Amino acid sequence: MAKDATALKLDDVASVTPAKRVAFGGGPPTLPPVRPNAPIGSNAWLAMVMFLGAEAMFFAGLMGAFLVFRVGSPVWPPPFQPRLPAGVTGVNTLILLASAVTMRLAFLANRRGERTRLVNLLSWTAILGAAFLLIQGYEWARLLHFGLTVSSSVYGGLFYTLIGFHGAHVLGALAWLIVVWSKARQGKYTRRNAVGLQTCSMYWIFVVALWPVLYGLVYLY
Amino acid sequence: MFSKLFLMWNATAAALLAHAAQAWACAVCLGDASDSAIDGYNASVLFLMSTPYLVVGSIVGGLVFTYRRARKRNEKTEAELIGHLEWNQEESSR
Repeated sequence: MAKDATALKLDDVASVTPAKRVAFGGGPPTLPPVRPNAPIGSNAWLAMVMFLGAEAMFFAGLMGAFLVFRVGSPVWPPPFQPRLPAGVTGVNTLILLASAVTMRLAFLANRRGERTRLVNLLSWTAILGAAFLLIQGYEWARLLHFGLTVSSSVYGGLFYTLIGFHGAHVLGALAWLIVVWSKARQGKYTRRNAVGLQTCSMYWIFVVALWPVLYGLVYLY
Repeated sequence: MFSKLFLMWNATAAALLAHAAQAWACAVCLGDASDSAIDGYNASVLFLMSTPYLVVGSIVGGLVFTYRRARKRNEKTEAELIGHLEWNQEESSR
């Protein structure tokens, strides 16, 4: 059975060579019309948008809990509690922001069909993400050494909950990124089929964009 | 039997009322208005109240932006195709 004209995708129309285009008074058959209800994104893309919305609300809940105690406390941080390393974490913030730039560049490289550049940029993103986690881990070890634990005070509990959940998200995103990197090396992403890369990129940029908000709230406010 | 139950019920209610303690009307009605905890709750409530609007607004804004971009791309492709319509004398005289 011939392919239904309305079922043809926009890509099919765009790929028709000029020689096959319609001419008055005969010639090759008329081109199928551009499908008016072509989806603007894949189902996975839409699912990821919804998931990120839920994630944003989850972190908003945690930030709301933080605000109750932060705004409600006349002295913050509470007495006899160590101060957070805002300087080192500021540098770490820049590292994480740089990883979002490399991720975006990797996505654009795939659109242009530059596979080597895609793999390289994904590698840089993973390295920067891993560096962020390592520095965070080192700072956490120091804070634990100085006596800031989950049970030491509300301050410690809120800090480890908020920053810990974000760290877990970065770790999850890094694991996903490694899978995407491996697939990119095998050439499984093409210019037109890169749903895995696109959704991973969205998730990565979400966790990166969330971090400056958390940094400002927990470390600087 | 009914009167016995009725009496027991009344006695229990009277005993509870006799030892009633003061209770807040809700879980977050803390202290007086000058309490700093009230400020904390107010800030949190305002933040959480505004967040859904921000999240849903971002999603809807993103969808509208993507839709408009896709529509513009479609129009461009259509214009490109129409631009190649041409009169073919040789074929039209057949």
